[in-house]
Amino acid sequence: MAALSLPPEIANGLALAIVASSSAPMLLLDGHLKLLAASASFCDAFQIAPASVPGQQLASLGSGEWDLPQVASLLRATVSGDAAIEAYEIDYVRDDGPVRRLVLNAQKLDFADGTKLYVLLSISDVTEARLIEKVKEDLVREKAVLLQELQHRVANSLQIIASVLMQSARTVQSDETRGYLRDAHHRIMSVASVQRQLAVTRQGRVELRPYFTELCASIGASMIRDRTKVTLDVDIDNSSVAAEASVSLGLIVTELVINALKHAFPNGRDGKILVRYAVEGPAWALTVSDDGAGMSPDKKTAKAGLGTSIVEALTAQLGGDLNLSSSSNGTKVVITKKVATAAREPELRAV
Amino acid sequence: MASQSWVVLVVEDETLIRMGIAGELADEGFTVFEAANADAALVLLQAEASINLLLTDIDMPGSMDGLKLAAAVRNRWPPVKIIVASGQIRILEVDLPEGGRFFPKPYLGSAVAAAFRDMAALQLSPI
Repeated sequence: MAALSLPPEIANGLALAIVASSSAPMLLLDGHLKLLAASASFCDAFQIAPASVPGQQLASLGSGEWDLPQVASLLRATVSGDAAIEAYEIDYVRDDGPVRRLVLNAQKLDFADGTKLYVLLSISDVTEARLIEKVKEDLVREKAVLLQELQHRVANSLQIIASVLMQSARTVQSDETRGYLRDAHHRIMSVASVQRQLAVTRQGRVELRPYFTELCASIGASMIRDRTKVTLDVDIDNSSVAAEASVSLGLIVTELVINALKHAFPNGRDGKILVRYAVEGPAWALTVSDDGAGMSPDKKTAKAGLGTSIVEALTAQLGGDLNLSSSSNGTKVVITKKVATAAREPELRAV
Repeated sequence: MASQSWVVLVVEDETLIRMGIAGELADEGFTVFEAANADAALVLLQAEASINLLLTDIDMPGSMDGLKLAAAVRNRWPPVKIIVASGQIRILEVDLPEGGRFFPKPYLGSAVAAAFRDMAALQLSPI
C-alpha cells in the first residue's frame, strides 16, 4: 500500500490515535508483543482500564482472561511473518460473566523503513450473532419438521379416506354404486397426487408434467384392464401453475380420463387416450382426446352426471372455455383460457 | 404364475387402511395376514412359514418401526419380498432393505399387487 512519508513521531502518534478511537475493539502491539494502545471500544467491552494497557503483555491484561497461549503463539507467528491470524475464534471466559465467542484477526503492519514492527489485533464479539444464527437455524429446522409432519398426516388421512372408499366399492352390491365409489376414490387420489407434487417442490407451484404423468399412471393402473388394448398417454409442456389451479386441472383431467375409459371403448374396443397441456401464445389449452366410439346422441342430451358437473364447475372457476366435440372418430374435450396479463397460467377467479 | 402361492403379511397400525389394503390384496388373489405392529408381525412370521411377501407402514407404535421390521425380516427371512409404505414423500435408499420398494401414501392396492408380482417375477427370471 502506498503511504505518505510522515516523520516517525507523527506517524506513531497518528497510529496510536487511530487505534484508540476505533469503534471496533482493537489492540496495537509492538514486535515484542508489548501492548502500545487499546481502543476505547476494547476497554469498554472487556472492562479494562485504558491507562493499564500500554507496556503490558496481552496475557497480563485484566485478571488473566487474555492469557491464551494459543493466541500468543499465533501472534508470535504473525510477527515473524510465518502466519497470520485470520478469523481465529476463541471463547472468552471471565469469572464474572457468561462465556463470549470472539473472532480475532491479527495483521503485521508494514512500515516503509521496516525497522519497527507493529501488530494490529482486532477483536469482534460474535456471541449475539451466533446466538441469533442458531435460533434462526433452529426455527428453520423446526419449520421443516412441522411441514414434513403435516404432509405426513395429510398423506395418511388421504390413505384412510381412499381405503374406506375402496372397501365400500368392493363390498357394495350395486354395480352402479360401485362405479360411483370408485370415481370418488379416483378423485381423492387425484388430490393426493397434487399434494405429493407440492410437498416435493415446496414452492407453492406444481409442475404439470410429473403431476399429470403420475395422475394418469394411477388412473390407468386401476381402470385399464388390458394395457395392450387401451393406452393412456400424456403430452405436457414445461408449465408449472399455482397450487390451487393445479388441483382444479388435476380433477378435470381425472374426470375426463375416467369418462373416456368408461365410455369411449365399448365391447372391448382398442383405443388411445391422450392428455395434452400446452401454453400457446397468450393462452393455455388442456385437451383430453380419445379415438373411441364417440358419444351417442342420447348421451349428449342426457342429464349431466357428477363428472360433467365437476368439469364444468372447475372450468368456470379457472375462467376457461370448454369445448366438446364428438364423432364416430372419437371425443375431444378442450379447455382453453386466454391469459391477458403477464401471468400466463390458470388463476382462480375470486368467488 | 398363480398368485395363490403368494402369501402377504400387511403391517399397518391404522385399522381402516389395513383392512382396506388387506381386502384389495385378497381380491387380487393373495393370501393375506394382518398385523398392527412390528412385534405382532414377527410373531406371525415365525408361526406362518408360508408368508413370502411383506407390506409394512413405517411409522408405527411398538418396539420397532417399519424400516427396522423390514431390516429384521430381510435378515431372518431373506426370500421375503418387501414393500415399505409411508406418508413421507421419500425415504433414503439406504434405509430400504435390499431389493425392497417404497410406496408413498396414499397408494393403490392394485399398484401394490402389481409391484409384488413384478418383484416375484424378477426373482424367477434367470440373471
